[in-house]
Amino acid sequence: MAFAAIFVPNFRLQAVVRCEPELAIRPIALIDGPPPTYQVVAVNRLAARLGVAEGMTKAAATQFPGVEIRPRGKLQETTAHAVLLDVAWSFSPRMEDTAPDTVLIDVDGLASLFGAHENIAASIVSKCAEMGLTAQVALAENVETASVVARALPGATVIPEGREAKFLESLPVHMLSLSKELCEVFERWGVKTCKALASLPVISLCECVGQEGVRVHTIASGNGIRSLVIAEPAHCFEEFFELEDAVEDLEPLSFLLGRLLDQLCARLAARSLAVRAIHLHFTLQPSFESAFDSCSEAIRKKELFSDYVCAFELPVPCRDAKLLLKLVRLRLQSTPPHAPVQKIHMLAEPSFPRVTQGGLFVPEVPDPEKLELTIARIAHVVGEGNVGSPQLMDSHRPNSFRMHRFSVASASAQQVDRNGKMETKIGFRAYRPPVLTKVNLRGGRPINVAFLGRSGEVVHASGPWRTSGDWWEEDPWQQDAWDVEVNFPYETPPSQGFYRICFDSRQKKWFVLGAYD
Amino acid sequence: MYIELHARSAFSFLEGACTPEDLVHAFAAHGMPSMALLDRDGLYGTPRFYLAAKKLELTAHIGAEVTAPAGRRYCLLVASRQGYQNLCRLITRMKLRVKKGEGAVELDELREAKEGLICLTGGDEGLLAHALRTGGTEQAAKCLRELCAIFGRENVYVEVQRHFSLEEERRNQAAIALAHSMQLPLLATNGACYATPDQREILDVFSCLRHHRVLANAGRLLSYNSERYLKSPAQMSALFADLPEAIANTVELASRLKFTLKDLGYQFPVYPTPDNESQIEFLRARTWEGMVHRYGTGNERAVQQIDRELAVIEKLDLAGYFLIVWDMVRFCRENNILVQGRGSAANSAVCYSLGITAVDPVSMELLFERFLSEQRGEWPDIDLDLPSGAQRERAIQYVYQRYGQLGAAMTANVITYRGRSAAREIGKVLSFDPETLNRLASLVSAWEYIDSKDTLTRQFQDAGLNLEQHRIQKFFELCQTVQDLPRHLGQHSGGMVVCQGQLDSIVPLEPATMPGRVVVQWDKEDCADMGIVKIDLLGLGMMAVLEDSLRLIREHYREEIDLGRLPANDLAVYSALQRADTIGLFQVESRAQMSCLPRLKPKCFYDIVVQVAIIRPGPIVGKMVHPYLNRRLGREAIESLHPSLESTLARTLGVPLFQEQLLRIAMIAAGFSGGEAEELRRAFGFKRSEARMKEVEIKLRRGMESNGIIRETQDKIVRSITSFALYGFPESHAASFALIAYASAFFKCHYLAAFTAAMLNNQPMGFYQPATLIKDAQRHGLRFKPIDVASSDWDCLLEEAPDGFRVRVGLRYVKGLRKEIALQMCDQRRIRPFDSIEDLKQRVPEIHKDEFRVLAAVGALNFISSKKGFHRRDALWQVERSSRWSGPLLAGHPLTENQSGESSPLDCMNPEERLNADFRGTDLTIGLHPMAYQRKVLQRHGISPAVQLPSFADGKFVRVAGAVIARQRPGTAKGFVFLSLEDETGVANIIITPQLFDERHTTVVHHSFLVISGVLQNQDGVVSVKARAVEPLLTASAEMQSHDFH
Repeated sequence: MAFAAIFVPNFRLQAVVRCEPELAIRPIALIDGPPPTYQVVAVNRLAARLGVAEGMTKAAATQFPGVEIRPRGKLQETTAHAVLLDVAWSFSPRMEDTAPDTVLIDVDGLASLFGAHENIAASIVSKCAEMGLTAQVALAENVETASVVARALPGATVIPEGREAKFLESLPVHMLSLSKELCEVFERWGVKTCKALASLPVISLCECVGQEGVRVHTIASGNGIRSLVIAEPAHCFEEFFELEDAVEDLEPLSFLLGRLLDQLCARLAARSLAVRAIHLHFTLQPSFESAFDSCSEAIRKKELFSDYVCAFELPVPCRDAKLLLKLVRLRLQSTPPHAPVQKIHMLAEPSFPRVTQGGLFVPEVPDPEKLELTIARIAHVVGEGNVGSPQLMDSHRPNSFRMHRFSVASASAQQVDRNGKMETKIGFRAYRPPVLTKVNLRGGRPINVAFLGRSGEVVHASGPWRTSGDWWEEDPWQQDAWDVEVNFPYETPPSQGFYRICFDSRQKKWFVLGAYD
Repeated sequence: MYIELHARSAFSFLEGACTPEDLVHAFAAHGMPSMALLDRDGLYGTPRFYLAAKKLELTAHIGAEVTAPAGRRYCLLVASRQGYQNLCRLITRMKLRVKKGEGAVELDELREAKEGLICLTGGDEGLLAHALRTGGTEQAAKCLRELCAIFGRENVYVEVQRHFSLEEERRNQAAIALAHSMQLPLLATNGACYATPDQREILDVFSCLRHHRVLANAGRLLSYNSERYLKSPAQMSALFADLPEAIANTVELASRLKFTLKDLGYQFPVYPTPDNESQIEFLRARTWEGMVHRYGTGNERAVQQIDRELAVIEKLDLAGYFLIVWDMVRFCRENNILVQGRGSAANSAVCYSLGITAVDPVSMELLFERFLSEQRGEWPDIDLDLPSGAQRERAIQYVYQRYGQLGAAMTANVITYRGRSAAREIGKVLSFDPETLNRLASLVSAWEYIDSKDTLTRQFQDAGLNLEQHRIQKFFELCQTVQDLPRHLGQHSGGMVVCQGQLDSIVPLEPATMPGRVVVQWDKEDCADMGIVKIDLLGLGMMAVLEDSLRLIREHYREEIDLGRLPANDLAVYSALQRADTIGLFQVESRAQMSCLPRLKPKCFYDIVVQVAIIRPGPIVGKMVHPYLNRRLGREAIESLHPSLESTLARTLGVPLFQEQLLRIAMIAAGFSGGEAEELRRAFGFKRSEARMKEVEIKLRRGMESNGIIRETQDKIVRSITSFALYGFPESHAASFALIAYASAFFKCHYLAAFTAAMLNNQPMGFYQPATLIKDAQRHGLRFKPIDVASSDWDCLLEEAPDGFRVRVGLRYVKGLRKEIALQMCDQRRIRPFDSIEDLKQRVPEIHKDEFRVLAAVGALNFISSKKGFHRRDALWQVERSSRWSGPLLAGHPLTENQSGESSPLDCMNPEERLNADFRGTDLTIGLHPMAYQRKVLQRHGISPAVQLPSFADGKFVRVAGAVIARQRPGTAKGFVFLSLEDETGVANIIITPQLFDERHTTVVHHSFLVISGVLQNQDGVVSVKARAVEPLLTASAEMQSHDFH
């Protein structure tokens, strides 16, 4: 039995550099943590040489000139981890997903494909390099030794059988993936190296720290015997791309999106799956450092956010990258992102390809997916948010409503008052948009109104009913509404009506909001 | 005419949006003669409302909205004193029976308290609106009948409010119809929640905070318009043009509200004298007894002073007050609780004779008027310093016990919206993301010093925020407006009020978070303004240290020390003060004090009084420090501001240093009376009012003019008064503090072991960390013994040795060790010593593994074993073994001696590991200072130890290194940063310029050990290093802590 351990040192940093290879030659520090107490979580050698160290605050790191400070890229790490798994699967199906930066593979029987152990190790290192990752690989007779040595030594290392303890003796004990508590116990005991740990009497050690002590003692002695926990292939398909220079135009953006869609479809095809939905998430410029500026934009234009998110529910699962790109382009044309795109995150929801057969005697009805498509087309013409059913909002603002997804409404029950009688409600027909009107006042009360070519006298007026709000927004509102009974004596025959009119204090104009039935 | 009889202030906590003063100014501007304030479930804002109205000669009516079951409210107006007392009791009963913020009054309680109260039917949350909403007209009529049955028809008013709401108007019409049918009077009100329409925004923000929403999703919880402001009579008459009687009734009802806070009816408790002796006679007798004790016989000046004071006390009828304070002091003395009066009470010879204060005002020529004056008509203010902690609580509980739970209470502390918390809450309501919120909150500067370039716009720009953006601008406006509005009610740290009868008929009481305590709804300023006597029982850490020192001296040195009779002019004390050897001493241990002491060189007690008072913002801002020191060192001629002031300023070399001197200056130069001079101090003091200051200044100048003082001198005098009134120390206060400072210095010089143990047992307190106190004591020759479960108690102890006392460090310093476990260990040890770690574990089974580990790591288990050479790692090994659960099979069967073998395969710790373990486990070490391990290397790099610095010449370039024990950036120091670097030989003082601080900010703030290169400054024996370069010392790794003032 032989095992290989693949370890990607400084994984967080490598995940970022993989997307932007030019960063590799610049001093870089990654920061993470709750704002504003960001801390440096990873640095490359160049930055370390300048004095930047992990655990420093962001403020401290910025004091070192020339050091590029980037936020930790959790999504890039996810992608890098997926790549690491891909590399491992390309060598052996018997693979253990140990940690984001570590995988273990069973290399037994690979000699016929790759040659000697040294060749296998070198192949793995070079495969990782092709995928943009610098890995440390160790091959040993037992999993633990391979894993520990891979973490400790650069490049490819092959540990001859029987010499495991020799390779491990000078390594610090924290390399053994200890629990935090055990790590602290060893630190208090002054046990710093694997050799020191291996020299402790194992029974006494067991008495003190239990079975975990025995386990790490065995590893430190080079006698590990555990087997692999075989990993299942993942079901998550996502791609992430961060652009060095934000892209504003649709064409170059489409090119990038097309590439990502191709990759996704290829991955799905390999697993005999198709796309059920695509979720697209753009992070827009300006990015990290001045996030608030974009937020202020959001305040000016409510519908805009610093992120651009859209989802495509497909009527039928498919893996036609061209078709998908067309849909995406359509959406981007109708509702383009309001700022250049800085980051792209694309997630595909997988599904089995649809295989159906229509019933011979089933009457033909609109296919729900077709209905969905129709609604989507209407939305494309009238705009998102302008199709669906209206729903009243919790606001004092008169006539405030929003559209929500269309669904067949159930018949509403008639309201019954306390005495068990049917409650009569006055119907009100709202004019949308409200009709501009001319109003004459006397003593602050309306006496004449004129709208839509009609002119009338106000017989009764009740009001004003004053409302105002949204003072924290840039477009606050205030209006005085009146319920009026209007006679139109000049019409033939003379008529009358009940209306709600209002004076908009911001626009300094009168409107008719609607008529009572 | 219209009078607003239903308004809420921000004291309705999140249901009102302006201060009571705002409301008063608004109603005054509208020409209303009076107004009523009805806050929710309390009279929190009434004193401020009343005082503001009184100032404008207007009437403030009192009332409250009292919560009824189901969220309804009774709106009650106070018509008479009986009504006021009933309202106070009603609220108190409701509050005291449930948790804070809950509770509702029951109908029965209301029936009992109806006398003197008038009921309004309320607005949206009122009873009538609730009845109409839930049960229509029928229910509403029933509700009105119920109210009439309780209060009587003549005391129920049907309230109508109009805020341009259709829903409300529907309700109004129903209410009007009911009022007419039941022949009840209508009353127009506006249910005002703020003074001006723009304050509606604050109310909306408060609504969000109340409902835990943000503005964007609060929907109809927000106001529907801005009409709940205080409207003018004309506006209200126009609104109710169809109901003129509703307007007229406001005037009629206001005329029925006879009660104001002027008739509060507060009486201070009468002290029960024996044999029906009058209080003043009893006080006189106690004072003369005390006088003989304090002054002996034949001190004519003291007799005259006491006579004069007693006459004033008799005239103002304050004998009871003095006797009650005397009684409290007597209780403390009888129960071995150290107590000392401070503040202006120290100006009184009566207080001194009664033992309330310890400073002799006669020999120190202190001004009695600063304490008590006939003109002021205020209660005197006596503050008592007590040892912080349990002893102070005993004194507080005595007051409760003496005057009953409803006869005594703590004063409240109104917590207002300020700085960072206000910014955070408003930012949250405006839906700022967490990052922006943090940035905005951080704009509230953390350091005391504020750069002159730090304008608000720049601060916002630096944080990447643009003030021109609407929402940021709103945030800024709201933060400004919300400042100082009440947020919630806290408890004052020591202020107590007592009352003759039932305190709950004077002001409503609330339960405090601490069990057994109640709090009044007014803060201490309001209590003082309302003429309620307040006694401050303040906890002072150093009093606890002195008390503990006295006990340790009694137990170990077998000496009984009387703090009142400490030897005066002790040479060792003054020598230490002159050398600035003052680490751990009260008030004179700070860096600024230390740099002043070698210049001032105190030689007598009065010098200490000056020393305590001189390092204060008043003298520093008023530029008095250098003239005083120069005159003391003979470098400047002693000149007075004016020849007539020579005697007043003689003791302070012509430089005014104390508030009393300013009072005297005003009395001499401008002919003010004692009371007028105190008035002047207050005008320039805490609650500054431009108009009042101007008024007093004119009077002052007029007085000086008539005394022939020239304009230039007048300006100087006015300037010194202005800078002093707010920040200066009263001489009496400084003298009280100087006494404690002297006592602490005396104990440190003569009973170092006892003083150090007491200091270590009362942490946190003072300026330095325990680690520094220990190192300082070691430099003074004191030896310490390590923490040891076989010998240590919870507190630090004294142990006798042939060559003096040792301090055994207590288990309280073991981080994470629970006190109950430590005490259990001590109890078990006293029964039978522990013979092994396993034995300890068996006998104290509740000990946690982590506690056990820390004990082992700091060496506290080393002495438990009989084995020679048993070290910390052996203990750590055994701790792990004995802490493991042995499983059901072996449970209850301890390891045999053979199994628990006392040795371990581990190496013992090296000195550096021990040092690190000490700091990690106890934050201190009694071994070598971390810097001692580095000394050889440091010497090779030309780094000098702190002790050598005084021997170097001024201007020499030096390098020093050490652990940072304090960082300061005082507001008065123009951006300079002061560091104290400790090494094994002493403390070096470092000055860092603003420029260097900007460059090396991170290093200065974040590194525990620093190397400083710079120029030595040795001025009048004050040695410091002006840094040119700051580097971290990375080879030192102990986790030392510093005391940072930023």
